[in-house]
Amino acid sequence: MSTNLIDTYVSEVGRRLPGKTRTDIEAEIRSILQDMVDERSQKTGKPVDEEMTLQVLKEYGAPEKVAATYTGERYLIGPRLYPVFALVLRIVLLVIGTLAAIGLGIAVYQMFGHPQNAFETILKAIANFGTSVMTALGNIVLIFAIMEWALFRAGVKVDVKGLPQIKEWDPRVLTKVSTPNQVKMGETIVETVGCFAAIVIFNFYPQIIGFTPSLNSVFENGTWSSVSFIPLLSQAFFHYVPFLSLVWSMTIILNIVLLRMGYWTILTRVSTICLKVFGILIAFAMLAVPSLVAVNTPALVSALGDAEGARILMTLLTQGVRVALRITIIGGCIDLIRAVYRMVTAVK
Amino acid sequence: MTNESFDNLILELRRGVIVLAVLSQLEKEQYGYSLINGLREHNLEIDQGTLYPLLRRLESQGLLQSNWRIESDRPRRYYMLSNEGRKLLPRLKEEWAGIVSLMKKLL
Repeated sequence: MSTNLIDTYVSEVGRRLPGKTRTDIEAEIRSILQDMVDERSQKTGKPVDEEMTLQVLKEYGAPEKVAATYTGERYLIGPRLYPVFALVLRIVLLVIGTLAAIGLGIAVYQMFGHPQNAFETILKAIANFGTSVMTALGNIVLIFAIMEWALFRAGVKVDVKGLPQIKEWDPRVLTKVSTPNQVKMGETIVETVGCFAAIVIFNFYPQIIGFTPSLNSVFENGTWSSVSFIPLLSQAFFHYVPFLSLVWSMTIILNIVLLRMGYWTILTRVSTICLKVFGILIAFAMLAVPSLVAVNTPALVSALGDAEGARILMTLLTQGVRVALRITIIGGCIDLIRAVYRMVTAVK
Repeated sequence: MTNESFDNLILELRRGVIVLAVLSQLEKEQYGYSLINGLREHNLEIDQGTLYPLLRRLESQGLLQSNWRIESDRPRRYYMLSNEGRKLLPRLKEEWAGIVSLMKKLL
């Protein structure tokens, strides 16, 4: 039956359409096709039959093509987001490359005592680097694909150059007169890179954070093998890394949005403030944890060979981490007050 | 220049006038198919793949209004200029007249 053919065709087109408008478009296409078939039947004087319907459907076009005329082009990462994506990618690869180089350097340094493991160590370092790059690339593409999808759904209009027209071009921007609502590119990029570096270090290269207590034993024993590398931070600390990573990731996303828009809005200001508050709360929680430091005195003693020195160093470390946290909290609060102040003055 | 590139140039040229052509025909109510035939009679060939998405777009922009009507047992979607569309059409026509005289001088 030709109506069945038309219905099947219509649902084939509808399959490829977004849910909201699907039923409406399907009804429209069905009505059009029926009109076309009827007209052809009138013109040729023949009754409507399957052959005629097939002919009309063929002329109307393949379902994918028809659906595409209603949805427009779909991109994984479209022309408006691509420049930012490329920028982020470059920054990220730079950071990962640097960290991998550092990691490789440390690996090489540590292997002096075990030359037989040299090949393995280097191979591991390269494999590590490869994995980090893949993971980072995958995550970045995923984040941008999600943003592209969200913008598509929101129906943001794209102008000729592929950039959303949000603000008007003002030549005064060239004189670098900073209006209160303008996003400071430099600051934002630095913060983004910092957050990304933090995420990479604390999640993929935690072993970097530590130290070699002293090289004394080297000189005494004459070999490199007694150089020990002590990781600084304890399990308790790493318990908080997921939360910190979340704050850092959201800061990165927010900064990307800010870089794209070029100016602050109430929404972005409020989001920044919330993120800062969240970060401060995490820092407070971490202060309450008894031991963020993984080192303990006996280990230090054996490494240093000096009990008194070990005790002093231990105290320095434990207190040092807490002081660092307190400084972070204070800095965070100052930042927070600044952000609130800017928001209040900008609103006026 | 290949045939295809020439055809593309012609397409680009025509693309500019399609919206005005379509709007000019919708001062009274029409359904999609009658619109195509009407334009065809004036020697303006337009592909359904172009027209129907265009009508939807113009409606979402507020220039057209549409409603479904059941005629001879079948629902049909009728389009017509909205109030805003009616206000806009004379201005578009004026703009077009300006372009035509400009091109006449250039060519």
